[in-house]
Amino acid sequence: MRLNGTEMAAIPAELHGLRLLDYLRDVAGLTGAKEGCGMGECGSCTVAVDGRAVTSCLVLVGQVLDADVRTVEGLATAGHGALQAAFVERQAVQCGYCIPGVLNSCAALLDRDPDPDDAAVRRALDGNLCRCTGYQRFVDAVHDAACARRGAGAGTEADA
Amino acid sequence: MTAPTAPTTSTTPTTWVGRSRPAVEGGEIVTGDLVYVTDRRVPGMLYGHVLRSAVPHARIDVLDTADALALQGVACVLTAADVPVNALGPRDVDGPVLADGVVRQVGEAIALVAARDARTAERAAALVRLELTPLPVVDGPEAAAAAEAPALHPDGNVSGRIAFASGDVGPALDAAHLVLRRQVRTPAQEHVAIETPGGVAEADDDGVTIWCGSQNPGLHQRKVARALDVDPAAVRMVAGPVGGAFGSRNDDPVPVYLALLARATGRPVHLHLTREDVMAAGAKRHPFVTDIEIGFDEAGTILGSRVRAVADTGPVITSGPNVMKTSAEMSTGPYRFDVASFDGTVYYTNNANAGAFRGYGVPQVAFAVENAMTEAAHRLGIDPVEIRLRNALDGGDRHSLYRHATTRSLAVRETLRTAAAHPLWADRARWQAGASGPWRRGTGVATAMKGVGMGSGTGDTARARLRIDAQGHVTIWAGPNHTGQSIQTTYGQVAADALGLPIEQVEVRVGDTGEVPESGPTAASRSTYAGGNAVRAVCAELLGRCERLSLPLATDAPGAGTKLVDLGEAEMVAEFRLPDTEDIGLVPPEQLATFAPHRVYGTCTQVVRVEVNVHTGELRVPELLCVLDCGTPINPGATIGQAEGGILQGLGLAVMEDHQVVGGVPRTTSLENYLAPTIADTPAMTTLFVPGSEASGPFGAKGMSEVVVVPTPPAVTAAVLDAVGVLPRRLPVTPERLLDLLDETDHGPREASCD
Repeated sequence: MRLNGTEMAAIPAELHGLRLLDYLRDVAGLTGAKEGCGMGECGSCTVAVDGRAVTSCLVLVGQVLDADVRTVEGLATAGHGALQAAFVERQAVQCGYCIPGVLNSCAALLDRDPDPDDAAVRRALDGNLCRCTGYQRFVDAVHDAACARRGAGAGTEADA
Repeated sequence: MTAPTAPTTSTTPTTWVGRSRPAVEGGEIVTGDLVYVTDRRVPGMLYGHVLRSAVPHARIDVLDTADALALQGVACVLTAADVPVNALGPRDVDGPVLADGVVRQVGEAIALVAARDARTAERAAALVRLELTPLPVVDGPEAAAAAEAPALHPDGNVSGRIAFASGDVGPALDAAHLVLRRQVRTPAQEHVAIETPGGVAEADDDGVTIWCGSQNPGLHQRKVARALDVDPAAVRMVAGPVGGAFGSRNDDPVPVYLALLARATGRPVHLHLTREDVMAAGAKRHPFVTDIEIGFDEAGTILGSRVRAVADTGPVITSGPNVMKTSAEMSTGPYRFDVASFDGTVYYTNNANAGAFRGYGVPQVAFAVENAMTEAAHRLGIDPVEIRLRNALDGGDRHSLYRHATTRSLAVRETLRTAAAHPLWADRARWQAGASGPWRRGTGVATAMKGVGMGSGTGDTARARLRIDAQGHVTIWAGPNHTGQSIQTTYGQVAADALGLPIEQVEVRVGDTGEVPESGPTAASRSTYAGGNAVRAVCAELLGRCERLSLPLATDAPGAGTKLVDLGEAEMVAEFRLPDTEDIGLVPPEQLATFAPHRVYGTCTQVVRVEVNVHTGELRVPELLCVLDCGTPINPGATIGQAEGGILQGLGLAVMEDHQVVGGVPRTTSLENYLAPTIADTPAMTTLFVPGSEASGPFGAKGMSEVVVVPTPPAVTAAVLDAVGVLPRRLPVTPERLLDLLDETDHGPREASCD
């Protein structure tokens, strides 16, 4: 497994049955991914696996031994600093518990579509529940980030 | 009126109140660095698990933990007998920490387990031998009130009753041109804070520290101390960071569970409830049945109203009667009329426990009042905004039920006028005409008000502590606590402006009973108003000391700080006691706290556009306008963010959220079958502020985070009436219910058009 760009040492077989979410939080020490429901409904545990946003509570470690896994902790080095900054500047975060998952959904979208329209952002986020905000600012922040990334050269580390 | 502000820039402004400022912890949130209470990992910690009842009402015949304790890796299994004082409050009706002899609700906690890992704890719980004899289930208020109903508490099944009349309503209704007698129903609603309750506790000889979310850290400190039978000073609650609350962290027993397990094992214990745990055991918004009789003259003037409400609080009291107290106060809506009465009763049942939820009893009765206003306008041929303007309560007017004096900053009329002038309302006919296919379009309006703080006679108080150091840096410990609104950012803005210092020089800390003086709950829309005023008061104390000693704080903070440190005057505490109403009206002085009328209210008018599919009953909400009367918005961007989140909770209540319990057994058990709004359900929202300033508020601010929930459901039903000619009386307005209403209209009598 490559975790946030770093090749991990071989994961012992007895951990292959762990949920990816538990591996990240309790073994790798990355508590950015949150648990909100444990059944893939709330999206707060969303991470990127090989570039796709997935709910890590529904993935077992054994399924991602050869995968590229990116969590919220790896967003800045992956060139998504502008997205993170936009969420803060737009006041799109309140309690913040859903935000790591939301950011991973948005980052996966921006990686495949550097200039998404509103409908694309809404589709990308329809698996992420937020109970504090009205979601609108997530859309605004993604547009800000897309704009900033175009200015800085999309996909580079210049905006990290 | 102020439009939503652009993101802040890097320039340093000289004043901060009224300027949108990103949350101070925002940077840590977006990197994943912020350690929420359930993220805490402590070396050697044990994992907790709660064994819960699967049945709504039963006698416990056998509760044997021997097999569970024998499982390798289990550190302790606690039952009622192991809790020093098995009570969540001072009264029997507060309920036990752990079930003692009887279970009265699906999800009631029976035993607590701590083990070396979560799986072992769960397996141990399954090994607890439990033999139960089923008891008759009280499945709702009707069953609770029945003569043969089993008594759920020694004093019976009435949890509380509040009744008041400003006079005899009968003659007013007799004289009315139009009398509407209507019953509305509103469901139990789940908070769905995305972080489920949990955290970590550690105990030693000196006491116990609990890291667990709370809207009322001082109350939880006292609850823990009672259960452990220790001095409150031996209990420290660190109540954050927490992933949302909305009322759910007022009555939550998890801090007590954590403290008991840490105390019993002498080791750190981690516990994190599952979503299924919370769906079964967490307190809900009270389901209500509300009856209204309201009379109008031909011009739409309200002549009098009589409101009766019945609420289901489940097996323990939590906030039940207090919720009904707020319902009583808001049963006359934001309207001025001559005579009103209210009679509300809260019952104990074996259904889901209900407690505090944003709005606190107001959305339920406001739905009855606003639906009646909508129907009266429809029947009398009066514009829905106009009928509300004709009855609006103005600043300083006497409240229609209690006749107490309301704040002069009340701006119901201004929110209505601003909403009516907006294109969403002004262009509604043209928008409606653009409907096509099976989709019909309609626009609705509703308005609401809600008190700020706990109300007159309650002694509601917030405090702040301040220390300045020799570098001129100011630290302020203040409450109410942060549960998602970044209240510390707001407190910092108040402090920076009050002191005339750069905001970077002020640090605000909240939520830790070891540091923050008792400031009451994050509840009742009071945090900005109460906590902001306490912060302002403690800043005034610092300024006073500096003036007395001729220290120029604003120009030489390090010099002032150094001198105050040298003199031993660098630390200070101040408090703000929320002012009672200037005139308590008809409320007997000795019962002031019983009715707790407010002095300060915030108001909100909303306009909603809906599209209804007449073939399927589907309902879409493409656009919504929110006009807020909250005095000075100290952090406008944060205020609008609060409004948008509150509107979505109101929209959820209007169209999809419904915690269903049948025969005491919940049917909505997880986020798979309990629906809350996603981005796909979210309308384009616009929030506007009406100008205004609350004289008693910090820099003119008053609270707003609850009132925004209230107008959304009745605005949606009003829009449905405009679209398809039926006015739903039961929430949520699901496609099935809407289709049934449409079918009745097609075939039934004229009267059915308003059901």
